[in-house]
Amino acid sequence: MARMKFLCDAERCIECNGCVTACKNEHELPWGVNRRRVVTINDGVPGEKSISVSCMHCSDAPCMAVCPTDCFYKTEEGVVLHNKDACIGCGYCFFACPFGAPQFPGGNSAFGLRGKMDKCTFCAGGPEDNGTKAEFDKYGRNRLSEGKLPACAEMCATKALLAGDAPVVSDIFRERVLRRGSTGDAAWGWTTAYGKPEQPAAKEEAK
Amino acid sequence: MTTSSLSLRLAGWLAAACLALAVVLPAQAADAGTPAGQQAARQLTQPGNNAPVWREVRQDQAHFTNNPGNEAGVLIQSGGNTWRQLRNGPVTLYGGALVIVVALSILLFYKIKGPLTNHDPLTGKLIQRFPPYERVIHWITAGSFLVLALTGLAILFGKHVLMPVIGHTLFGYLMVLGKNVHNFVGPLFFVSTLAMIGVWARDNVWQNIDALWIRKAGGLLTGEHVPSGRFNFGEKTWFWIGVTILGLTVSISGLVMDFPNFGWTRGNMQTANIVHAVAAIVMLLLSFGHIYMGTIGVHGAYASMKTGYVDETWAREHHEQWYEDVKAGKSGHPQG
Repeated sequence: MARMKFLCDAERCIECNGCVTACKNEHELPWGVNRRRVVTINDGVPGEKSISVSCMHCSDAPCMAVCPTDCFYKTEEGVVLHNKDACIGCGYCFFACPFGAPQFPGGNSAFGLRGKMDKCTFCAGGPEDNGTKAEFDKYGRNRLSEGKLPACAEMCATKALLAGDAPVVSDIFRERVLRRGSTGDAAWGWTTAYGKPEQPAAKEEAK
Repeated sequence: MTTSSLSLRLAGWLAAACLALAVVLPAQAADAGTPAGQQAARQLTQPGNNAPVWREVRQDQAHFTNNPGNEAGVLIQSGGNTWRQLRNGPVTLYGGALVIVVALSILLFYKIKGPLTNHDPLTGKLIQRFPPYERVIHWITAGSFLVLALTGLAILFGKHVLMPVIGHTLFGYLMVLGKNVHNFVGPLFFVSTLAMIGVWARDNVWQNIDALWIRKAGGLLTGEHVPSGRFNFGEKTWFWIGVTILGLTVSISGLVMDFPNFGWTRGNMQTANIVHAVAAIVMLLLSFGHIYMGTIGVHGAYASMKTGYVDETWAREHHEQWYEDVKAGKSGHPQG
């Protein structure tokens, strides 16, 4: 069975927010809810990096662990989904999630009236029958059941955002890393470990 | 001054400002002390080595994002895992164990010692112990406390205890109700707790006679009758530690979680949740003692809060000093 994962290649992400828009459009998300967001680290400084982030569908998902009603479940593909009928809008998944993935349409309302939690489904819908209107209204499009990958990754112009079965995704990334390594471009940690033989002057400076 | 000369002058200022920025901004960026500066410097010496960036994203800081949400700029927050470990670990485990152990100990105490009864027969003459406004405040606080305790226990332990029994779907619907009841009754509890502190603080200050009560452990084990003022030292302990300190701690931490509209961060909520859970469990444990003494533990105690009146024998045997004060017609103890 496949194990679905996201991978965002920081060397390729150009902060176009196309993934955010693709997601919002595909699922017709409510006002104020963005299941995906792009964060730019060191914006405007040489070496800035952008990363698109949403639910990472963790192996040991904190949201699942803290949910008081156990409304989360994991599909056979390793996608973390939730049942909005059992969600009480307590916000605990939002406290626990490292990536800030859970969103609440009620936002920050008084008396904790957050509404049902909404998060990235890896375009895999929810507990309702695949492709039904009830499923679409609650969770958005179920692309996985149609044999399609998540809209954000499919839409990504630079193919920075990869989504799919873990071995396939990591093979693509591994190939990129190897290619970049040969041009000294972006194999993370390689220059630290092996230096840059073609630029000995730069190496001296780094010391 | 003509329009063209004005726009020329404006263009001049603009160019000057741009030049100034062009000089200042890279200087700031290149400051090797900042993480951004480290990343910029690393790109010159080791292009593609993003170690400074990866270090930076683990420091719970907000970076740039177009998403307007609160803390949307934080790529990874580390506090969530600490909160998860604390809540799902010691708070659930030791909290749950303590609730069971204390409840069982009180039941055991009741089985062995039985209730505290009056030594002398009742006189049939009643004196007022709690005027109506005190009873209203007490029962609003008590009622909201019970509702909050039940729904709160369900939020922390429900999925381990209740859900296996009544099933996922029913539990889910009940919890939607429970969570909203908890969130709306909470502020009521806060207000009535404040009122309670207001009306009873005066009678709960230390009196010299309390030392005797402590020395004899309230006569709880011996069944001996120990004199006290309107409230004995046990009641005072519950008042100051249970109602005042823990009641206010639970209320304030609860209000933080109940009103996210004030823009609290996830870190604030995590802290509030742990404080709330720990204080609520300790308060619940103390309340077991209070509820026991107020119902089956002491004959006549429940009637005093229900009707507001106690028999003179009861007053003399449980709160002798107060009884004397009432008999002497001292101020502060009006008989309605």
